[in-house]
Amino acid sequence: MKSIALAGAALLALIATPAAAQITAPAPEIPAGITVEAPMVHGATLEGNLEGNAVEREVMVVLPPSYATDPERHFPVVYYLHGFFITGRNFYNFMDVPAAVAANAAEGREFIVVVPDSLTKMGGSMYSNSVTTGNFRDFVATDLVNFIDANYRTIPTREGRGLAGHSMGGYGTWVVAMEHPEVFDSIWAQSACCVSPRMETPESAAAMASATQETVDSGNFGVLAGLASAVAWSPNPNKPPFFVDWPLAEDGSVDQYVIARWANNSPLAMVSSHITELESFDAIGSDVGTMDGLIRDDTLIHEELEKFGIEHIFETYEGTHTDKIGPRFSSVVLPFMAEHLDMGE
Amino acid sequence: MLKCLTGALAAAMALLALPAAAQENARINELTFHSEALEGNWEGSPAVRTAMVFTPPGYDEHPERRYPVVYFLHGYGATTQMYQDLVHFEQALDAAAAEGNEFILVMPDGYSRMLGSFYSNSPTTGDFETYIARDLVAQVDAMYRTLPRRESRGLAGHSMGGYGAMRLGLKFPDVFSSVYAMSACCFNVRPYSIEDAQAADALTDEQVAEASFGTLGAAPFLSAWSPDPDAPHKFETGLLDDGTIDPEVMARIAANSIIPMLPQYLPSLRAMDAIALDVGNEDGLKTDNDALHAELDRFGITHTYEVYEGGHGDKIAGRIPTHVLPFFAEHLDGD
Repeated sequence: MKSIALAGAALLALIATPAAAQITAPAPEIPAGITVEAPMVHGATLEGNLEGNAVEREVMVVLPPSYATDPERHFPVVYYLHGFFITGRNFYNFMDVPAAVAANAAEGREFIVVVPDSLTKMGGSMYSNSVTTGNFRDFVATDLVNFIDANYRTIPTREGRGLAGHSMGGYGTWVVAMEHPEVFDSIWAQSACCVSPRMETPESAAAMASATQETVDSGNFGVLAGLASAVAWSPNPNKPPFFVDWPLAEDGSVDQYVIARWANNSPLAMVSSHITELESFDAIGSDVGTMDGLIRDDTLIHEELEKFGIEHIFETYEGTHTDKIGPRFSSVVLPFMAEHLDMGE
Repeated sequence: MLKCLTGALAAAMALLALPAAAQENARINELTFHSEALEGNWEGSPAVRTAMVFTPPGYDEHPERRYPVVYFLHGYGATTQMYQDLVHFEQALDAAAAEGNEFILVMPDGYSRMLGSFYSNSPTTGDFETYIARDLVAQVDAMYRTLPRRESRGLAGHSMGGYGAMRLGLKFPDVFSSVYAMSACCFNVRPYSIEDAQAADALTDEQVAEASFGTLGAAPFLSAWSPDPDAPHKFETGLLDDGTIDPEVMARIAANSIIPMLPQYLPSLRAMDAIALDVGNEDGLKTDNDALHAELDRFGITHTYEVYEGGHGDKIAGRIPTHVLPFFAEHLDGD
């Protein structure tokens, strides 16, 4: 019920709000025993990005009950990547991460859950490396992980780290994991977006290429998602104001050179050249709601993994893009991580 | 030229006249090892491979010395021996040593059923990335007196090997610190037509058995970049019933081409000590190299780019002692 209300609010926010708005959700209650910190993490990998995105990123860190009571104990960490058009904090709110950590701790599964912020001028980093948006792919796997290991009592090995995310964060889970398999032991992508190679028509490419600051400020989720993909995947330092190559060639056709660069960022296209990396994970999981349009994409990557004999879990459930993801993080994703990560004790 | 001849003559004399322990010239060694990464590849290529390892003059007399290592990746349709016959790496190392630059040089085997692996990561051909950057490097570090760190490891290659050098440089900046790509291929997305796909679909085992450079069309690329466990040759051509090509296959080819890959790997290139590209002005691959050069410029990646008078293969042997090894002498950590 709460989720539906929030999703409704999010939709309203999309329609009604002016520039720089994003999806918001009220702060959750912090259950007894849970500690939440919100350190600012410096992203050396984000320095010099052309969009002027913040290099200091807020990171929500949720500590389980034993963290305070057992000062000798070290804990596994689940890194949880948020979706498009939302901050890390609001995603943490929406997902009610403290309740998920508490519920799992009550069952004897104690984790630290870390939610980094990757909101950018265009609405989201796509967790990609881009001179325009910043090297967020590397930020997650290096700056963030190093900071958490240096400042919290983690199990600072691959076996002690899981990676999960929703929507754009599910996409981020696939690409960060495939490119940094040495960092994470097990991964779970919820309702991942952007799995297939992104294609354009001459019309849609022309629409992108005509984007102005007003387009960005209008806050149209679908339009911004396209622009954010472009700045993340086909950056061009010589093309202000957006520092991007739009997918429109001079003759009005779709620029295949841009499409090729985007293809290099498609998890589906990446699978066949990352078999070794994918096989190296202890466990892989993914899920999507049957009422979510992304079920097509997420089924495609499931089939691709099957074709190459990569062991994984793929679950579909009755639900939309957002209505079950918070409860499923608690009841499916964290128990999955507990089964596969080094839990310390 | 004179220097090379003199070197060869000295080498011949050394073999005749000197006691076994002395090593006044570079020596050719063979390193045969099993690569876990190549095991189980679907085309049945061997996981046991032999690399040529060239040790510099004086290697035996100085058992306390450790050396930087240059890895050299050979081109398509050729074996390590064919490159050795062309280049005479031991002479190149002698010439470098005469200038005070001593290296170990390693040329691994990049051959496959389709006459070349493209040093890529494919279940069909095998994971050549891990084979070279992890398995081979670990073997060389274990068996030879190397300086076992990235600052002392360089990566070079010619043609398909130039592509391999760039690719592995993008992916393994923790292993290599300098890259030199000679007449490299496959920087731009390779054109792939319906006719290419049809020919690849019609390829027979006999054609594969009798293949030589160029006769296999797109098959080598497809083996490296579009694997398929269920297809006869273990690659997916993407030819659809309606006569078009599956965009998924085009996307896979794009995702293995250096220029589309580049934006995601700029941090790797910025971590490099030095990057060099060169190509002959009569080489059809000049277009690709011009394009990568422009792309590196656009992203502000420091590198050198040289276009010289020559074709695809005629200046390679000459340029290894005069350009490639001096480049590594300048950038690799020698002690």
